[in-house]
Amino acid sequence: MSARRMLAATTLAAVLLPGCATRAPEPGTSVAETRFDTLVVPGRTTRAELLAAFGPTKTVVFDSGMEAWLYTAPAAGGRHTELVLLVGRDGIVRKLRKRPAYPTDPVP
Amino acid sequence: MRRIVLPALLAALLPGAAQAQAQPDQGIQTVTVTYTRDPVDKSYRKMIRGMERFQREHALAPQATLRFRLLPRSPTVDMHGITLRVAGDHITVPVAVAPDNSFVLPRNEQALQEDAAVVANRKTTSMTWRAQVTTPGLPPDARRLGDLRLECLVGMEAGLVSNSSPLFGWISNALTSPEQVCNSPDGNFLFFTERPLFSVTLHAGDRTEILPFHFLYAGGEQTRDMLPFCDCQVLLDRTYYAPIWDRSWPDDTLVTFDYMDDAPTAQESTP
Repeated sequence: MSARRMLAATTLAAVLLPGCATRAPEPGTSVAETRFDTLVVPGRTTRAELLAAFGPTKTVVFDSGMEAWLYTAPAAGGRHTELVLLVGRDGIVRKLRKRPAYPTDPVP
Repeated sequence: MRRIVLPALLAALLPGAAQAQAQPDQGIQTVTVTYTRDPVDKSYRKMIRGMERFQREHALAPQATLRFRLLPRSPTVDMHGITLRVAGDHITVPVAVAPDNSFVLPRNEQALQEDAAVVANRKTTSMTWRAQVTTPGLPPDARRLGDLRLECLVGMEAGLVSNSSPLFGWISNALTSPEQVCNSPDGNFLFFTERPLFSVTLHAGDRTEILPFHFLYAGGEQTRDMLPFCDCQVLLDRTYYAPIWDRSWPDDTLVTFDYMDDAPTAQESTP
């Protein structure tokens, strides 16, 4: 391969292969944790109720029809607690989990 | 954003055909080979280098063994009945594939000299490949962080990851060493679980932490348009990043999983 081709390919690759350029993760919609605890009940709460109560948020939709939803709640030190929901194919919340803020989390 | 490709440029990759006669018997099975080289076949030399890397870095996982594993990438690929062979110009070495599509690569000097390829009876781009480093005796639904660190180093050394286009794969390899990928928070090396994931937790002594949401599902940033260029394409719900770069977590850290479904089904347990 000529030097010119090598240079062109390397330049193109630098543009095309942003393996080292990670975007900051998109946060979920911030909600009040106490209200979230009151309103969200796995096995009963629906997608429509989530949207009505807390609005849209970061969501990952899978080929299986399942969805993972991320809300956040303010925590100490400017960090946040993650509130993660698994919404089933029927639109009903199947699971809920919380990830607390850890001291090792970066401060936003 | 992960690595991307320009599909139109792939047209430049037209496979050539090669026919070869077998060499006289040298103590191994040899046959007449008609082999169509695919430029995206896995390099036997690289995979052997990956195995050598495993030996050099064995301290990360002293009790572990190494296998390689085939995983689905294309939505239509049939993962049953896969056969595998090491194919050079004058040699073919069959490779036994286990029911979970894992295998051990035999070492063969002639195949090394001939710069052979590791070829499956599927289109190479329909699957993704990984190293599988497993310490025996771990609890169910748990991995060991040192095993994952070694999987990353071996997988990168062996050239297994196929997020970028084949056309630019060699450039990608030139620009990203195993150390750059496996020792950096931006390395973005994907791991896969056996079943769809809901949560991943690290345990080291008294320290326990749940991984943040953006460590799951390839960061949760993959759009429908981007997925075909990620080797998580059909395994998105089984995909996670582990903090293999973070040395505050020792090699003996246990990585445990909670799944979307509490009980596996036969279909889900076989990716």
